[in-house]
Amino acid sequence: MPADSPDKVIDRSAKLVFSFFLSSAGLWLLMAALLAYLAAAKLTDPFFLSSYEFLTYGKIKVAQANAFVYGWGGNSIFAVSLWILARLSQAEVRGSVFLVFAGVIWNLAITFGLLGIMDGHMSGHEMLEMPTEVWPAMLISYLIITFLALVIHRSRQVRETIAPQWFILAALLWFPALFLIAWNGLEINPARGTLQTVLSMWYGQSLVWLWLTPVALGAAYYLIPAILGRTIDKYYLAIFGFWCIAALAPWSVVHHLEGGPVPMWIPAVGTVMSIAMVFPIAVASTNFHATAFMDIGKVWHSLPLRFVIFGTLSYTISSYIGVVFSLPAVAKITQFTIINEFHFNQRVYGFFSMIIFGAVYFALPRITGREIPKAAKSFHFWTSTLGVLMLLLAYLIGGLTHGVLAGQPSLPWSSSVIHSIQPYFLITKFAFIILAFSQFVFVVNVWRIIFPNPFVYFSAENKEASV
Amino acid sequence: MNNLAKFTIGIFFTLGMAWLAFVVGARSQFGDLVPTSEVLDDDGSVPEDAELFPVDISGMAKQGAEEYAALGCVTCHTQQVRRVEAGFDVERGWGKRPSAPRDYVLQEHVLLGNSRIGPDLANVGLRNYSDEWLHQHLFEPQSIFPSSLCPPSPFLYQLVDEPVYSDIGIAPKNNMDKNRTVRPSIRANRLVAYLQALKQDYELPEVSFIETEEELVEEEVISSAGGEAPKWLQDQIDTGKEIYMKAAPGGGMCFACHQQNGEGLAGQFPPLAGSDWVLGNKERLIKISMYGLMGEIEVNGVKYNNVMAPPGIPPGSLTNEQIANVLTYIRNDWGNSASAVSAEEVATVRASLKGRAPMQMFTSAELTTPIQ
Ligand code: HEC
Ligand code: HEC
Repeated sequence: MPADSPDKVIDRSAKLVFSFFLSSAGLWLLMAALLAYLAAAKLTDPFFLSSYEFLTYGKIKVAQANAFVYGWGGNSIFAVSLWILARLSQAEVRGSVFLVFAGVIWNLAITFGLLGIMDGHMSGHEMLEMPTEVWPAMLISYLIITFLALVIHRSRQVRETIAPQWFILAALLWFPALFLIAWNGLEINPARGTLQTVLSMWYGQSLVWLWLTPVALGAAYYLIPAILGRTIDKYYLAIFGFWCIAALAPWSVVHHLEGGPVPMWIPAVGTVMSIAMVFPIAVASTNFHATAFMDIGKVWHSLPLRFVIFGTLSYTISSYIGVVFSLPAVAKITQFTIINEFHFNQRVYGFFSMIIFGAVYFALPRITGREIPKAAKSFHFWTSTLGVLMLLLAYLIGGLTHGVLAGQPSLPWSSSVIHSIQPYFLITKFAFIILAFSQFVFVVNVWRIIFPNPFVYFSAENKEASV
Repeated sequence: MNNLAKFTIGIFFTLGMAWLAFVVGARSQFGDLVPTSEVLDDDGSVPEDAELFPVDISGMAKQGAEEYAALGCVTCHTQQVRRVEAGFDVERGWGKRPSAPRDYVLQEHVLLGNSRIGPDLANVGLRNYSDEWLHQHLFEPQSIFPSSLCPPSPFLYQLVDEPVYSDIGIAPKNNMDKNRTVRPSIRANRLVAYLQALKQDYELPEVSFIETEEELVEEEVISSAGGEAPKWLQDQIDTGKEIYMKAAPGGGMCFACHQQNGEGLAGQFPPLAGSDWVLGNKERLIKISMYGLMGEIEVNGVKYNNVMAPPGIPPGSLTNEQIANVLTYIRNDWGNSASAVSAEEVATVRASLKGRAPMQMFTSAELTTPIQ
């Protein structure tokens, strides 16, 4: 047997961990899709499954967000970050057993957390609704995984670090910090009054901005040059973009409290910082798109890259829309409307998940040595695109309608304002069906590669054709 | 960037700055607010034996807050009235004034929320809903507002055959099933106690009540009743009066029963002058003008139990515009004075009743309303 290239050795070391996190992520993705469908269906027909308490809308909605962010988001972040860090450090993944062990605990914690939510122990803090009992398990398992990721990074061959590493490491480190701050401020030393809300909103929004977003950006910084075989255009801007996000994002997220019962400076600072976010957005967008558009043909033909570029475009557009919607004049209309759903889905679906899909389709064949059929990937891409666009357009237009009608006090609430956005709920229901279908295809694609024959997986090294 | 320790310090520094502001700074700024009196003495101190606000809610209501949090009501309902320049909340009648941080200092669960598929609930306790109404709404909102998206919570109730005093009768769904009587569970009672306790009906040194535009509009109408009504309003009132008096197609012939002087006929036809049904909730008024009304009602303290077939000639044929005009008229004659009704308002109510059978009269029970 010829000596393996270093990349292959690294890929092999990552195989167990990557497969484990990815297959769990897939299951959570399906779980979230099912819950999303149920929630959407309940908005079109309130009597749908209404006699089961554990399936009441409020619980389903919250469980869905948690399954999506911690289940799918968390597991796929672990899978993709560990692999990218290992590749960039040219170091093997070590401590796979501990990683898998920690992963099992993480998944169990979320499982119990969601069951807790459905059983009526929801905490009422944004994105921390899982009962406090599971928080320690989440934190500890997370810390084990992060520690081992740092070990990989520390044993890197090249001292010089590059953009993907900054973003991914920062995300890995920010999460526990946010989590501890929120834990302390909400449970250990609980804040009184609306301070609670300031904190939980800050946590909930930062989770998206400082955890999901940087990982996806890091993955894009890694994948675009790797697939195109060219360097990032205007790479020198990346460091500026990174520190802008680090410095501005934690401030910008509180503009959602505009007009509410908190000191005025809080949302005001948020608004100013949100507007300043145009800089890092412009940087990332220039880096990605200037590079990609030099070789647009290749982007089109490489499915992983098509996913990634969809994600980065979506990031750019959604972030600019976010900036516009944080201007007080616009916020007055859109605040509290289903535009919130637009932002959330745009970010976690149109941006984060699409990039992760791309990363998985790029990494999986290298790690397992098996190719995913092109038609299956393509099908996944097109159904996702369709579903996401449908979903986002419905929330966007619906949200604007919601806001404009709500702003006319003479229109009765239920029979007029909400009545006029009901058609959009129907559209989102269909979009969620399409997405569920699409995600199912993704998970099948992944599982078929990871477990081509479930019974021999653990028995031997796979010596199949290489990439 | 290449040294992990320095990098880590850097990224925690940026995060820490925001933490210092939003958590530490905000806490020191308003973390120690306490209840206070509605007005302060000149020297800024709380007057002796003044009542302090906010007041703590009952134990029952506190348990209700837990239920509210656990059922995820916050996914659709906010509990915050925004400042006037930031939104329409006060104009919508969701509160007498914007909410202030101090309003929440005694709450264990602060459920401000950030999504409004349902209306704001910061002041739902001020809307004069009876406990029965709230129970019925919790059990099945659609029995009150047929197209409501508020999720029914039948799991908090038990259907019973032999009602006792505290049980609640709920209007049958689709006129199909027989009378339904439900018994609230302890959890439902807690939740209702909590909803009733949600009210910001006091002023604080930092916020006072706001006169809303609707009140202003009504005042404008009142003052204009003394002669100079705007032209559009006078037009509406004049055409409305014609419809009221007309006994031919396109007319309402209301005078035949309610009389020309709006006083009705004792024991048979209730008066329109001074009636809450006329001056109060517009949606209800529009509904009965489209579909008619039956069942026992109380007008100006007198009970009536009769039937008004869908008004109009032929019955139920009044257009949105005609209804708007005739209602504007009856709201502004015989000493009545209230805001005008627009054809759009009628259209929205009509749209909300799309599924309803054409001539199906409203029962008074169906319309038991918030604002008595
Ligand atoms: C799917 C979103 C949704 C959820 C979840 C929800 N509601 Fe509602 N709620 C609405 C809508 C829409 C209305 C307006 C229509 C109506 O009054 O039925 C409403 C109205 C109400 C009203 C009447 C308010 C008023 O001033 O007229 C009350 C009270 C209420 N909801 C309580 C609750 C409680 C308690 C819960 C939790 C068990 C809850 N809601 C959960 C959507 C929701
Ligand atoms: C055939 C007789 C009749 C006609 C015509 C009629 N009503 Fe009525 N109306 C009644 C009766 C009877 C009731 C009481 C119903 C009940 O007891 O439930 C009533 C009740 C009402 C009420 C609520 C109670 C009150 O007095 O405020 C309003 C408002 C009202 N009618 C408006 C109108 C208008 C507007 C028209 C014309 C478009 C009209 N009615 C035409 C018989 C009539």
